[in-house]
Amino acid sequence: MADAAPAWAAEARATATANLETLPELTGQEEAWRFTPPASLGLGGAEPSGGAATAAVAAAEGGTRSARLALVDGAPAAPELGELPAGVIVAELGQALIDHEDLVRSRLYSLIGFADRPGALNAAHWEGGTFVYVPKGVELAIPTETLLTATGATGRVNARTLIIVEEGAKATVIDRFVSPDLAGPVAVSTAAELIVMPGGELEHLSLVQWGHGVRHHARITASAHKDAKVRSVVVTLGGDVVRVEATMVASGPGSDSRALGLYFADGDQHFEHRIVSRHEAPQAYSNLLYKGALKDTAHTVFFGNLVVPPGAPGTDAYQTNRNLVLNEGARADTIPFLEIETAEVKCSHAGAVGRVDDDHLFYLRSRGVPEDVAKRLIVVGFLQEVLEHVKLEELRHELEAAVAEKLA
Amino acid sequence: MADPILTIEGLEVAVDGKPILTGVDLAIPQGEVHALMGPNGSGKSTLAYALAGHPRYDITGGSVTFNGADLLDMEADERAQAGFFLAMQYPVEVPGVSVLNFLRTALNAVRGEEISPRAFMKLFQEKSKLLEFDASFSDRYLNEGFSGGEKKRHEILQMAMLEPKFAVLDETDSGLDVDALKVVSNGVNSLRGPDLGALIITHYTRILKYITPDVVHVMYDGRVVRTGGPELADELEANGYAEYGSAEPAAVSGA
Repeated sequence: MADAAPAWAAEARATATANLETLPELTGQEEAWRFTPPASLGLGGAEPSGGAATAAVAAAEGGTRSARLALVDGAPAAPELGELPAGVIVAELGQALIDHEDLVRSRLYSLIGFADRPGALNAAHWEGGTFVYVPKGVELAIPTETLLTATGATGRVNARTLIIVEEGAKATVIDRFVSPDLAGPVAVSTAAELIVMPGGELEHLSLVQWGHGVRHHARITASAHKDAKVRSVVVTLGGDVVRVEATMVASGPGSDSRALGLYFADGDQHFEHRIVSRHEAPQAYSNLLYKGALKDTAHTVFFGNLVVPPGAPGTDAYQTNRNLVLNEGARADTIPFLEIETAEVKCSHAGAVGRVDDDHLFYLRSRGVPEDVAKRLIVVGFLQEVLEHVKLEELRHELEAAVAEKLA
Repeated sequence: MADPILTIEGLEVAVDGKPILTGVDLAIPQGEVHALMGPNGSGKSTLAYALAGHPRYDITGGSVTFNGADLLDMEADERAQAGFFLAMQYPVEVPGVSVLNFLRTALNAVRGEEISPRAFMKLFQEKSKLLEFDASFSDRYLNEGFSGGEKKRHEILQMAMLEPKFAVLDETDSGLDVDALKVVSNGVNSLRGPDLGALIITHYTRILKYITPDVVHVMYDGRVVRTGGPELADELEANGYAEYGSAEPAAVSGA
């Protein structure tokens, strides 16, 4: 694939590769990296080496999709296309570099570049990815889904997503990450660039459902132009170490950006979510809501930041993170942050860590509900505030079941 | 007289190390409705929560026999499964748990078998009608955004659906206007019968005008100090709790 890539793409890759050589290794001393050692994600330290491949993961059946793309170990593959409205493109990203150069060239790497080490690593090494293009005024009513799997055959798995929703267009895109439990450490790097032009609407879901042995560094950056609506939903359930960096950029006035997330960590899982809303335009709305449950000796970190640079009056921005700790020994850190340099804005932030309320538990038990079932109801109920924003019913039920399974 | 469904002997209960109940004796034959009256702080609600098995209430002495079994030996959910029910004074809000999901889970747990969705909905609609409970609340989260009256109706609705052998109604009349009190009382009266005993805990005599008790007990300072017939309620209505050293009335002005 790389041979056939246009010169500009080869050049970008060469620059990223060169940056990897020259940029200093991440040590974990950096402020942004103090909660999750970069080496634990395969960013620096010994190069992860692959072992024997386990059986490939069966594609999730789930509901109806307008297109499906399966990337095994991040290798490119052709999508399976259903009936797409005229002008809609769903393609493997490497192929799209060649087939849709005019659409891809100016946007690829525009939101997630390769000036820093994790960015350079992804840009230098990705082979397969997802490209979704929805032309002006077109509604892609049925979602597309990409399934990225790891088999253990390679120590590193990389993938990229580029979504362009043109003026007044609409789409729902799912990026799903799945593997069985793997013996060796596999390091996954993904980057998703979501571009929504004026009046467009995009719902993007990232479902992190890895088995043991997988570490995942995920970046998602969305740009909402004038009056656009973007909703990013992140569900983190599986993987040994997962760090998700989601950035919602209000690029145009009147835009509406929502970052919703839920996570449930058990065993000795470590999840970090760094969620940023950056208001580059005035009169825009953003809302970050992340809720997490954790048990055993799991550790989760939420870092949220509302950034309002000078020149963004009328900003209306909120962030909330709440955690439910189910037992002693599990630990949740929450760091809600604000960087506001414009007057006349409405911003609020809240972070909380709590335990299952004795009175809630008693109320359910006093009606005959056994303790384990009552706890399950309470935890699923706690996460419901996020789940109810998942519009696809079949997906919502699947996620509820996945959460319940962790409580079994 | 029927065998007692509930026998309490010398029950002592402490909360955060502080003794509240100091030896409660009470026996209620199955099918009878008893009222437990007393001024604030006499220990009425403590008795209710202790019987239901709230972990914050420490049993420091005495025994409770329920339907022939040791009630204090059971977890809260086992008590409910055995047929004990508490309609709470302050039902808590549980975020994200829908009324229907909760009721179905509770019903299945108490019955020990899965009810079919169809039979469940039929039962829910039937009992909602009985208690004039707005069935559109079924998708709401437990007690969230419910008015005081809706919460109480919802408590009695649960009782109607779970069909317990014995129910404690803790200050069910508080916060209810007269119309709501009538509806709730009618609901209780329609469930009343040889298979349901009840203890109605109340500060005021108001609810006893709608649900006539067989026996009235007076609680003061952590124990039952007097037991009598329904006329005892009338006496309290007239005199308040002065006899027991409390200036509180037992009649609601204007009720």
